[in-house]
Amino acid sequence: MLDYMIYILAFAVGSILGLLYSYKKHGEPYVAVSDFNIPSAAVSIIGWCLAFNAGNVVLAAVGFLLGGLIMGERPGYGRKETALGLIVAVVLYLLLKLTV
Amino acid sequence: MAEILIQVIIAFLAGSLLLGLHRKVMARVQKRPGPPIVQHLIHSLKFFFKETAIPKTVSKVFYIGIVFILALVWIVGVIVGPVAHDSLLILFGVYAVYKIVEHNSGSSSGSPYGKLSCVRAVLSAATELPLFAAIVFVYLVTGTMNIGQIITYQSVHGPLVFSIPLAALMFFMLIITKSPYSPFAITKDKALISGFETEHFGFLRGFMLFSESIAWYVMLWVFLTIFFGPLNAVGYLIGMIAITFVTGFINATTPILSPNHSVMTQITIGAICFFGTILMIFTGVVA
Repeated sequence: MLDYMIYILAFAVGSILGLLYSYKKHGEPYVAVSDFNIPSAAVSIIGWCLAFNAGNVVLAAVGFLLGGLIMGERPGYGRKETALGLIVAVVLYLLLKLTV
Repeated sequence: MAEILIQVIIAFLAGSLLLGLHRKVMARVQKRPGPPIVQHLIHSLKFFFKETAIPKTVSKVFYIGIVFILALVWIVGVIVGPVAHDSLLILFGVYAVYKIVEHNSGSSSGSPYGKLSCVRAVLSAATELPLFAAIVFVYLVTGTMNIGQIITYQSVHGPLVFSIPLAALMFFMLIITKSPYSPFAITKDKALISGFETEHFGFLRGFMLFSESIAWYVMLWVFLTIFFGPLNAVGYLIGMIAITFVTGFINATTPILSPNHSVMTQITIGAICFFGTILMIFTGVVA
């Protein structure tokens, strides 16, 4: 169970850091930038792909941290990027599972 | 000991994140952006660093002691359930003690809001009857109260939700009752401010929120374990998220009931499910 504790801890820490970062970046009382953010999407895809497919506790924990970083951004930010990251990671997981 | 610590940390973090998701789902149903999912966790941690004020009207020893008992009760829940896979009866005892703690937390505060919440905690014990009935049906079908043996039974005969669905519904009603902003949450009606928690501040409230998160995790874990058969970690994760979604949707669209309506609704649903399951057993629908 230690690995699950590490994953959930990494996700929670990532979410808190993401929230702090996005409040620092966007202090407005409304969603100022609703455009798709490519760097965030890249972090999200890398994070979720590592989390689901790394097969290694440390790498998966880093993945959950990165995934949480984007998912935990303040409301209105990081939603589409998280969705894309999760979809890519699940598709990759299924492809790896079906082909291996 | 390490296993208990790990499971308690998992229960707290997972429970907090699920309760955060619950708030998010409710907000989205009501067309609000809602707080971030991690907000409930941050909120719980925040209270441990806030100033703790103790009102003059409280019964001090009880007022302070009760929050530790509350935390202890749900830590016992984690030990009995996810760690030891022990008896369902002990978990029923945990829930019964939780109701007593809810009651005494309100009465020790000296606040009229807390006291009214304490009276309502006695009324809301109506949820324990369907819970007990659900446990009895699980025992009648599987022949055991031991969670480990119930899991083994389900791995051979399939999940219990297919053989005694009405008992599962009774247990699910308990989960709805315990979820935040539930139509049956008469002890935390906003007319009573925060109910039995109203007069607990600072780290005392922090302990209460800590216990609530663990309680949510333990109840979902028990429900999934005794009705949905042997599950792996991904199964538990999907199940817990799904139940949190469903309860969030129900609570977002349902107003809180008055105490008498709440109790009567719970008793009525419980009675229908109870007699329905008995009928299923005697007519041979349940093997």
